[in-house]
Amino acid sequence: MTEAGPTPPAVETRGLERIYRIKPRPVTALAGVDVRVEPGEFFGLLGPNGAGKTTLIKILTTLLLPTSGSARVFGFDVVSETKQIRRIMNMVAGGEQSGYGILTTREQLWMFSQFYGLGTREGWRRVDELVELVGLTEQREQRVSTLSTGQRQKLNVARGLLNDPWILFLDEPTLGLDVGAARAVRELMTAWRAAVPGRTILLTTHYMAEADELCERIAIVDRGRILAIGTPAELKRRVQRESIFRLEVDRLAAGARALAPLPGVVSAVPASEADTGREAAGRGTVAITLVLRDDAALGGVVGALGELGARIVALRKSEPTLEDVFVELVGRGFEDEAEGDGARPPMPGAEPAAPGPSHTTHPHEPGEPSDEPLAT
Amino acid sequence: MSRTAVSGSAMSEAVALDPGRLRGRPVRDAWRSFATAARLGWQMEANWTDPLLFFIYSVAKPVAAALILVVMIEVIGGSAGRGLRAFVVVGSALWSFVVSGMAGLAWSVLDDRERYRMLKYVYVSPSAFGIVLLGRGMARLAIGAMGAAITLAVGVAFLGVPLDLARVDWPLLAVAMPLGLVAIVALGAMLAAVCLQTRQESWSYPEAAAGALFLVVGAVFPLHVLPAMAQAAGLLTPLTWWLEGVRQALVPGSASAIGGDGSLWAELSGHATPGGIEITAALLATSALVTLVAATVFRLSERRAKDRGLIDRTSGS
Repeated sequence: MTEAGPTPPAVETRGLERIYRIKPRPVTALAGVDVRVEPGEFFGLLGPNGAGKTTLIKILTTLLLPTSGSARVFGFDVVSETKQIRRIMNMVAGGEQSGYGILTTREQLWMFSQFYGLGTREGWRRVDELVELVGLTEQREQRVSTLSTGQRQKLNVARGLLNDPWILFLDEPTLGLDVGAARAVRELMTAWRAAVPGRTILLTTHYMAEADELCERIAIVDRGRILAIGTPAELKRRVQRESIFRLEVDRLAAGARALAPLPGVVSAVPASEADTGREAAGRGTVAITLVLRDDAALGGVVGALGELGARIVALRKSEPTLEDVFVELVGRGFEDEAEGDGARPPMPGAEPAAPGPSHTTHPHEPGEPSDEPLAT
Repeated sequence: MSRTAVSGSAMSEAVALDPGRLRGRPVRDAWRSFATAARLGWQMEANWTDPLLFFIYSVAKPVAAALILVVMIEVIGGSAGRGLRAFVVVGSALWSFVVSGMAGLAWSVLDDRERYRMLKYVYVSPSAFGIVLLGRGMARLAIGAMGAAITLAVGVAFLGVPLDLARVDWPLLAVAMPLGLVAIVALGAMLAAVCLQTRQESWSYPEAAAGALFLVVGAVFPLHVLPAMAQAAGLLTPLTWWLEGVRQALVPGSASAIGGDGSLWAELSGHATPGGIEITAALLATSALVTLVAATVFRLSERRAKDRGLIDRTSGS
């Protein structure tokens, strides 16, 4: 990077590959990723567990070497110019209980301020400023080991802001947090970036609503590849041409799979927990996200459900979500990926299923005509 | 930061990056990192909920180790073994310092990765990783030094170690101590490099490595009782020369761990025991060699850990 030249991209990767040489066979975490994030962007990497998001963050934060390809942060190479990158970036990961438990909140932050090269006095000033900013004033002299999960994550966020980074990498920052703590972290991040133009954030998440709420642009990642990049609105427009329904049915043993081969059905996958799946699970029914070529195909689906002996509990038409985009791109939902891992937790702090304007039918048996119009 | 337009950016106007922040101040930053890490290390080491535990670990353990050896010599050698008392007490005291120094760096890696899960954050900070580890290791080294000093004091007060401050060879001590310290830290860095590669909790590695070295460095028995190959290994180890140097400096004329009848040293050099200059030269050469090897091993280990994704990989992951 030259001093006089134009500012290079905040992140630029070309053909980035990362293969883990593990037994019994190597695992490809990144399979040729090309991505460009501009300075000042709030950029999201959205994908299920194991998509390669964290691997990408690790490479960009100089924690891991790529197998091939190149990655640059503000023009600095992640392999050969790590010192420069480390001076201008910081990272915050979620879902972990990290911290020097024996130190107090202030001591831990001050210690990192010294590792980041701040002077003693400047370090304390910055620490006190951030302690207040993240709302840990009452816990400032409390040992880290006594902080709650949410407070530890706030402390982690404060550490991430200590060196006033040009680029902040957030790896699932709200994972495992309760509603209030997750919302506080998201608000903090938004406010921090907005305070100074040019501050860049790269967020990885598998919470679609979080990506939708925070990010200006999103890359949808799966199995080490970027499938699509765009603003949330642009991505959603990709599936706008199809009709999307949230369907809740009872007595459908085969689940969503039974509907996939029907005429006019683009895809039929279990709905995410964040989106109605959890309520359905509570009622012992199956929630399905149904993407149809057009509304006319719905009659066939309803008829087929009747033949299968299933009962429709609820049906509503909705605007596409990022999950619909993912389903369209990959042919499966996030939940499918999480199978065997346990269900994916809902996004903390998210409002209950609000997938946009919808129309819901009253429960009725398959084949029974609905009194309400379905088309929007 | 000044304002400037960023062409093609998602933002119409963004703050320019301050190139001054990229430069850093190498010496000041390194010192700051070292001092902070040392302070953190001390806070961890001194974080005893029970002062009795601290006393047992840092003082009673080395004193007890020395006493056990003295009693063993008494039982086996009777009055003939009394001449070896100073040899054993001084060697044993210094060895506790060696073990603490070697373990300090390695345990810092394990502490930060396994217990506190902060290694990745420390690693991606602008501070040099090696400097931070060095600072963290200093606390354990200080505790080891304290234990060694107390063991020596017990030896002088109760076990008849003939330490006379007027007779101490201060120049030899002044040269041997820093050189030995460098060698101990270098060995610790090698162990830290090994721990960086392990995915299991390798807390016992430093003591295992120290135990293996204990056999060949003449800490509590002279080298000439060992086979020639083991003696050769001992002569290539800086710790052997450091122990010999400090022992000869503290108690001039005491029995040599290196020389003596039938020793490899006597065979190779043609005279019975090494003098101060020979000890210093050998200590300098072996310390330099070990430091060079340690720096290379550490760098390779760091590179490999980064390549394999081991920096933040805990034993539970």
